[in-house]
Amino acid sequence: MSVDPMAYEAQFFGFTPQTCMLRVYIAFQDYLFEMMLVVEGVILKKLDAIPGCQISPSQIRKCTEKFLLFMKDHFDKLFGRMEEVLLQLVLNIPRNVLLPEDKVHEQYPYSKEEFQALQQELQQLQQQCRAETAAGEALRAELEEQKVVMGELEKILQWFNGLENICREHGTGNFKESFAFLTQNSKKLQDVLKDVVEKSKKMEQHEQLL
Amino acid sequence: GDGGAVPAVPAAAGRAQVFSTVVDTFLEKLVTAGSYPRFASCYRCFYKLQPQLTRSIYDQFISQLQSSIKEEIQEVKNEGNLEGLFNSLDKIVEEAKDREEPAWRPSGIPEEDVRSALVPYLLKHRSYLRKVLREKEEENRKVAKSVLAGRDRIAELQQLIQARKQAWQ
Repeated sequence: MSVDPMAYEAQFFGFTPQTCMLRVYIAFQDYLFEMMLVVEGVILKKLDAIPGCQISPSQIRKCTEKFLLFMKDHFDKLFGRMEEVLLQLVLNIPRNVLLPEDKVHEQYPYSKEEFQALQQELQQLQQQCRAETAAGEALRAELEEQKVVMGELEKILQWFNGLENICREHGTGNFKESFAFLTQNSKKLQDVLKDVVEKSKKMEQHEQLL
Repeated sequence: GDGGAVPAVPAAAGRAQVFSTVVDTFLEKLVTAGSYPRFASCYRCFYKLQPQLTRSIYDQFISQLQSSIKEEIQEVKNEGNLEGLFNSLDKIVEEAKDREEPAWRPSGIPEEDVRSALVPYLLKHRSYLRKVLREKEEENRKVAKSVLAGRDRIAELQQLIQARKQAWQ
């Protein structure tokens, strides 16, 4: 029969029951021996005080040994029984009992694979969160850009609206047409100007040659 | 001597009570064994000389032995807070009384055992991450909608501007 190390009990009590019993046994035994020595000492002292006493110390020593042997024998037997009862009934945790501090082990009996799967799931979730954060930032950045662009475009549109309002206000019916006409005229003027500049250059050259 | 291995204590007695009873019984039986007649017979030579002294020495011896033993027991109880632990254990055992299967015990391998202890924290972390992810996804859905609407609006504006430009050519 293998010796029960009573490790679970040790977890609860903070000491191994067998160790506790051993300590108590040794202490009790020490007291027994001590007391016997005291008894012997007292008897020897009393004998000294009696004049003409025939009893030798070695006789007394034999008496002490006899009594001690007897006591020790009973002591061991009785202590053995006491220890048995204490280890069975008092200093033990029944098989079906789970200490409250160990509740998690019954609630979450995860095997190595299940545990690793859980860890991987967590890693995945973290990655997904990071991805969503990045996507969110990109979206918000575009939103900001859009604001700027829309602002510019709306300004331009407003400018156009402004022009049309001016036309309407000043009753210039086909301002657009005259504006178009003007643009064409200014183009013609530019061409004429170019001609003149060329011609005057040629004239200068002729003068120099002359 | 007698045979009684287990003292007759009522089933309802708690561990503390059983402990006291068992120690008291031990002492009782020890004292009974180391009786005065036994003592006197071992120290017969001295007893014949001084019977009264023998009696008084014996009484002191027994009394001293008993108080030393009781003191030691009390010290052990105090050091280990045994009374408190006994009562706690009684309660824990009482709560488990309807349970028949053997309970979990440490496997002796720390890495195995620590796993279960970590699981509740990991589960909490997981539900937190799931919640955060859901919230971010929801938020991004909203922003994406706005972005798409923005793109449409910009396209619209560009078209309007093109139309005006053409009208002014």
